Formats: sequence, structure tokens, C-alpha cells
Amino acid sequence: MTTLALTVNGLSVERDVPDNTLLVTYLRESLGLTGTHVGCDTTQCGACTVRLNGQAVKSCTVLVAQVQGAAVTTIEGLAPGGRLHPVQQAFKEQHALQCGFCTPGMVMAAVDLIEHHPGPLAPEFVRSELEGNLCRCTGYHNIVKAIVMVSAAPRQAAAPTVALAG
Amino acid sequence: MDDRLFKAIGQPLERKEDERLLTGQGRFTDDFSLPGQLWAVMVRSPHPHARIVAIDASEALALPGVRAVYTGADCARDGLKPINHSPVPSTQFDLKLTGRGGTPVFVGPHRLLPADRVRHVGEALAMVVAETREQAAAGADAVMVDYEALPWVADTAAAAEPGAPRVWDDLPDNVLVDATFGDIAATDAAFAAAAHVVTMKTHIARVTGVPLEPRAALGHYDAATGRYTLYAGSGGAVRQKREVADVLGVDAKTIRVLSYDVGGNFGTRNRLYVEFGLVLWASRQLGLPVKFRAERSESFLTDYQGRDLVTEVSLAIDQDGKFLALRADNLSNVGACCVSLSPLSKGSGLITGSYDIPVATLRARAVFSNTMCTQAYRSSGRPEVTFAIERLVDKAAREIGIDRIELRRRNLVRADQFPYLNAVGSSYDSGEYEINMDRALQLGDWPGIAQRRAEALARGKLLGVGFANYVESSIGTPKERADVIVHARTIEVVIGTQPSGQGHETSFAQVTADLMGLPFDCVFITIGDTDIVSAGGGTHSGRSLRHASTVIALGVQDLIEKGRRLAAHVWRVAAAEVGYEAGRFSGPGATLGWFELAAHAGDPTLPEDLRGGLKVRRDNEMHTPVFPNGACICDVEIDPETGGIEITRYATVDDVGRCINPLIVHGQTHGGIAQGVGQALWEQCFVDPHSGQPLMGSLMDYGMPRFDNLPAFTNEIAEVLSPTNPFGVKAGGEGGTTGALAVVMSAIEDALVNEYGPLDISMPATPAKIWTAIQQVKAAAPAAA
Repeated sequence: MTTLALTVNGLSVERDVPDNTLLVTYLRESLGLTGTHVGCDTTQCGACTVRLNGQAVKSCTVLVAQVQGAAVTTIEGLAPGGRLHPVQQAFKEQHALQCGFCTPGMVMAAVDLIEHHPGPLAPEFVRSELEGNLCRCTGYHNIVKAIVMVSAAPRQAAAPTVALAG
Repeated sequence: MDDRLFKAIGQPLERKEDERLLTGQGRFTDDFSLPGQLWAVMVRSPHPHARIVAIDASEALALPGVRAVYTGADCARDGLKPINHSPVPSTQFDLKLTGRGGTPVFVGPHRLLPADRVRHVGEALAMVVAETREQAAAGADAVMVDYEALPWVADTAAAAEPGAPRVWDDLPDNVLVDATFGDIAATDAAFAAAAHVVTMKTHIARVTGVPLEPRAALGHYDAATGRYTLYAGSGGAVRQKREVADVLGVDAKTIRVLSYDVGGNFGTRNRLYVEFGLVLWASRQLGLPVKFRAERSESFLTDYQGRDLVTEVSLAIDQDGKFLALRADNLSNVGACCVSLSPLSKGSGLITGSYDIPVATLRARAVFSNTMCTQAYRSSGRPEVTFAIERLVDKAAREIGIDRIELRRRNLVRADQFPYLNAVGSSYDSGEYEINMDRALQLGDWPGIAQRRAEALARGKLLGVGFANYVESSIGTPKERADVIVHARTIEVVIGTQPSGQGHETSFAQVTADLMGLPFDCVFITIGDTDIVSAGGGTHSGRSLRHASTVIALGVQDLIEKGRRLAAHVWRVAAAEVGYEAGRFSGPGATLGWFELAAHAGDPTLPEDLRGGLKVRRDNEMHTPVFPNGACICDVEIDPETGGIEITRYATVDDVGRCINPLIVHGQTHGGIAQGVGQALWEQCFVDPHSGQPLMGSLMDYGMPRFDNLPAFTNEIAEVLSPTNPFGVKAGGEGGTTGALAVVMSAIEDALVNEYGPLDISMPATPAKIWTAIQQVKAAAPAAA
């Protein structure tokens, strides 16, 4: 057992968890944050992508014992106060999701990509950077459109990605 | 339908589903947990075929947390029945598939856990239930099974050979369907008189759907009420309820199935899985909820798989390039037991494709093999036959020396021939095939090919352009039900379809809003809980929008009549004096909208049949199929030094009939293309021919369409309305896939044929296969001087 202290979506949480607990299992089953999905168990599909200290990680191969004291943002923490993050908004406008299962991981990866690369992103760059996130429904076409659209918009419009406590 | 009244229909409205899915509030099966729940993990066969000699669970039962181990013998002792998949398509428009000599089809009983033998790698033969998933997995590892390995067969053609190892002792061999359709004598005569005959034999390989959400089930039996509750995403909760009740041998009224958000389906979820019955049964045994979630490797092994058709097809052509007759022999691999013959049946009805071919004969066979069962997979049966006819037409054009577009143009079904009865009895409803073809050629810049080829060559690449026409059929379960309910400020439609990303909550609301003269925002669609959704056919075969829009239209008609009578009661006039137009009822000097009228529905003085709220329940049965169609064109560039291949352009024209929401239809087309391209270039459920082991156990082994191996798409929607239903809907979910296999392989051939001649490259056309084929030609060529 480890006593794990994390900041999740701006809230401090402390729980005793077995050392072999995966971050995704902790988020889904201990905290009830079921927006983060498990699609493959082996870090190939990206459905479990969350942000860990401002970096996108696939939470199905992160042990909670590795992340003591870290700040985690999940899809639930991306839209504080019910206002959609610009990436979420763009996904809706561009029909960049169908079944929605890969979507939380896809959105977290896209937010990370945009925050790390200033200025408008070329479609080819988006395709190359996100090849570790799989979608079976959309053929990726509209996801690329949505991300390119957000990347080209003035950046100050972006909401903070870590929600404030409350 | 008066198009002028449409405000929401035809508009690219954003989806109602998206807000919850984008914020992590979706309700997928694994998101549900119940207090005290146990976990189930399956013990799966490592053998393609083996007798179960003995199962020793004692070591597993001694492990911490393990509550129970169940086997096939336990299931048999408790009277659990095999799953009744009803695999033989049975509407009056389906071709009648039979066993040899017209005998009934033997389907092979699909038991939750077999007691006698296992028939494919991955088949569950025992279930371990424990307090945690990890404990259940440890328990499954500790179950000792004594197998006696048996001879096996996995390959489709080999399974049909006399003397092949038999999957079932109930049949003399593995052939469960052998039926012939069409006019044999007329076909033979046409072939005898033909100026040209071209023939092709090919295998459309086995693939799997890979919905991103692994299948899962949470079952709970409540002894106090005698009710079973199953949380399980599927393609139709009503069907699952009926079938799981049948398996358990209980009244369907005791079962509640909940299927809310479903993380992809593509056909894989349209048949009941053994685990769905098992979790309910185990819950009844143990008195606690039991949950199962497949690992991705289990999904690869045991999700219902798709395609796997060996087809040999010949075309007779006269001296002017007119098609005279077609002969086809299709052999479908159903796997270890038969859960659906839809792929074989659907394909059989469309073997003449988009072309006017006066006579045809088709032999349709299906075989068992020691592989996972196959099911209708996205565009069931149609990509296979489209591949066969379109690749054959390309071959014919090359061999006869006619331009491949010109040869198609001479033979396409003409717009003035509809309704067109094809040579095996399918009646195509409507279409403008030649217009589609010409528009696709424009979108794909057919005239610019020579220039693009030269530019690519300057970069060391060989550019090829593929082309394919397609026609497909949408049939599906014929019955659908809708409840249309007027609440205080909203309209609710309860319906028995089951989306997994197709946006029913949006497009059905668009239809309902316009039918009732109300804003789109006030309509809500309820699906997926069988305690609310009492009937319905689920989602498959492109049926949902066509069936839903029709039954909703009929329901709204009934609702208007009911509203008229309610308004008549309010105004104390005869119902005939109440007018209705665009959402408002009018009487002497007054009008009432839907919600104002609904406020009167609680009046205790109302006649009996108007009480209980302003709502109607409407059933509809509609058998007539529709035939979505279109054309596709794509460019590929191949690096002859490496065999590397890149799709550089891809354009389609898709006649979906009435388009309710172009945003959604385009999205369906994109995803459909990706799935078809995936099969052409990367995807295959490969079984090792020496061991019978499936070699794709993870996303590392199975080639998936990814961001960086697909191009942007250019798509146009053609709306040639179908005369078969009120809105003229055809279908938009599968057209993207239907032509994709053919068009990609056509492009690869076009890229290579001038340099190397026709090469025998099978799907998936990987760089290794392309490179090898090129090297073989080079090696066979005389040494350079």
C-alpha cells in the first residue's frame, strides 16, 4: 500500500492504494472519473490519455506509485464551470467525434499538442504528432480539422487546463 | 413530404450527444459499477480444436478472493441453452440460403461454455469469478485443463475440401450452406456465345471490427424481485434482452438490458456474446453483481469477426464491350459456429454490382472452420462483391483493350431503368449511377492523371489512380416502434435503434422537430433501456434512419389526429372542425400549440382514450430494401524501391437518398472509408497455417488506420430520393467502406501495371507484398545488357 497524494483537476486527494495500481484504474475506480477510458491495456490506443504535470501521458501504463504529489488533469477537469475548452468546442463544431470513446484521450492529446506548439499547426504535423491516438469512427478527417482550427485561433482565448478547486 | 416546411432536416446541426461525450460524462458499460460486484475472467482455449478431457479447478478455488469456477458441465446441469442467433436472413427480400439440396441450415449450437470440445483458439471453456479482476485473472491461470488436441482447419478453401477435419460431427463435412441462384442455362448460353470471358479468383481476408471500447458486461440478479439487470453495450438492447432470456430459460419480462453509450460497433456487437449470459447466470448463483471487461487481446481473439470470403467470378462480354452474363462462386467462412449468414446473403443479391447484366448464376456456400465466428461487419457482404465485380471490370478493360471508364459507362444501370430488377432478383430502387461516376471523376481530377504521374515519377514514385462504382443494399430487421410523447416543454421520442456514434439523438430530433413544426432544441430521443424501450430492431445494415424517420412520421400523424380530438374536446367542437398546420391546432377563434394542448391532457373529463397524456405508440413494419450507391476515386503513390505506399487523394460521391444531417453523413463516410482502406492496406486476422494460432493479439500486431496513414477526403452527397419510404432515405453509414477495397487495389494496380505488368498482390497490400511482387518480376526479367 502507498498513501498517494495527488492534485486531480485542481482538488487535493489522498488515498491508500496498492502499489501496483495503474493511474487509469485509480482515476476510474477510486475517484469515479470514468471519462478516462481503457481501450487497449497496452498504451497503443491513447483513449486513457490524461495530463500529468502539464504533459500528456497514457495513464494505462503509469503506476500511481510513480506520480506521488503530481497534478493530474482529466477530461472532467477541462471545462470548469461547464464552459467547453476551445478544443472541446471545436470537436463539437467539426463533428470530430462519433461514438465518443476515444474522444477524452483525443481531446487531452490535442490540448497538449496545441499548448506545446505555438501558432497555426499544419494538418500533416497534427497527423504525425497524434499517430499514437486511435479512432475507429471518424477516419481522423474531422479531428484534424478541429485541431487545426483551434491552433489557428488567438491563443489567449484558451481556458486554463487545470480547473480551480471548487 | 413538403420540403418547404423543413427547417432542421438537411442542416449540418451540431450533435446533441457531444456535450456529454466531450466532458467525460458518457455512460459506457465499464463506467457502471454496483456495490459488492465480483469480477469474471474467462479461461480460454489455446487450441484451435481439442477435446476437453478434464478440468481441475481446485488450485484456482484455493486462491485468495476466488468465489467460483464454472464450466460447460455446470451450464449444462443448470439447463442453459445455446444462443439462438437466428443466423439465416429471412425477410422476403433476402436470398434463401439453404443446406445442400434445399435442406435446413445446421448452425452449430453456440453454448455459453462448451462441455465437450473447444472449436477455436480463444473459446471460453470456464469462468472464474473473484472479488477483484486481478484475483479472477490469477484464478483463470490456475485452472488446469487437460486437452486432447484434434485435427483442425482454419483456411476457408481448405475447410470446404472433402476430408477436411470436421468442426461438427452433425454434418458429413464443414459445408453448412450450398445454394444456387439465377438462370444456369441462360448463363451457360451467354458464356458460350461471348466474344470475351474474364475470370478472377480472390480471397477477401478475415478482419475484425476493433471498436475502441472493449466489450463489457455487468450483470445483476436481484433475488428479492426475481429481476435480471444487464449493463452491456450492443447494437440493440431489445434483441439482447430476448436472446439472453432465451439462454437463461426465463421470461423476457424478468430481464432489463441497459445499453447507453456504445464505443463503436461496426457489426461486432450485433450478436449476443457468451459473457453477457454468463455474468447474469453467475450473479444468480452467487447473489452479487458480476462484471466482465474484455482485454484488447480478448477482443482480437473473440469479438465477432468479419469478411472472409473466397470468390471466383467470371464475366461474359460481347464484341462491343457489353456485359452478357456473370457467374460467381462465393464461399463464406462462418467460423466455429454460425451466428450470421448476412454477409453471404447480402453479397449474393448484389453480385452484378452497378451494371446491367441480363443473366447471372451464383453458387453461395458457407463453411465451418476452427476460427472465431464471423458476423456482418461494416457493409456486410457488399465490399466483397463490389471488390469482385469492380476488379473484374478493370481486368476486362485491360484484356479487351477498352478504357476502364468507358467499359463501365457502356454497362451501368441507366437512370431510366429504375426500379431495376437485377439478374438475381434484387430490385434497385433509384439512382443516377452515371452522374455519380462523372462527378467522382471530376472530384478526383481524372483529366490531370498524366501530369500527376509525371510529377510523382520525378520524385521517384509511381502514381496510380483507382476507380470503383458501388451499389449496396440496406435491409435490416423490418419492425420498429416509436413512442412520441409531448411533455410540458419538450418532446420525447422513445425508439428501439441503438447508435454507437451515428448521432441518432440528433438526426431523429431533426426529423421529429420538422414533422411537429417545433424547434430542434426541444426534441429528445430516448434509447437503450429495455424497461422504457419496449420494442425495436436495433442498428445494423443502415436501417436506423430509414426505419426511424418512417415510424416517427407515422407516429406524428397519429399524434396530430389525437391532438385534433383533444383540441376539439377543449373547444367543445367536432374534431373535423379543428385545423392543424405546422405545429398549431386551430379552432373557432383560437389556436393551441403542442405544449399548450398537452397541458389539457390531464383533464379528468376527457374520454378514456385521450387520458394519460398527449402521446402515441406506433409500430411499423417495412420490408422493402433500398440501394445506396456511389462512386469513388483515389490516388496512391508507391515507392518501387521499398514498396512503401501512400494514399494522396481520395474522393467519393455517395447517394444516401435524403440527407437529414450532412455533418453526420460526411462523418460516416470518412469513417467508412478508413475502415475499407484499412482492410485494403493493413488489416488482417492472420492465422498461422502451421499452428492454427491467430497472430494478431494486440494493436501492435493488427494494422490500424492511423492519423498519419490516411489522407484528407473529398466527399459529395448525392440525394436521389428513394421511393420506398416517406422521406426518401437510403442509408449513409456503409457506403464509404463498400467501394474502398476495390478502389485502393485498383489504384495499386494502376501504379504498377505499366512498369511491371499485372501483379498478384492480395489484401492487405502491405509494402512487403508490393516490394516482393516487384522483385519477382525483376528477377524473372532477362538480365540487363
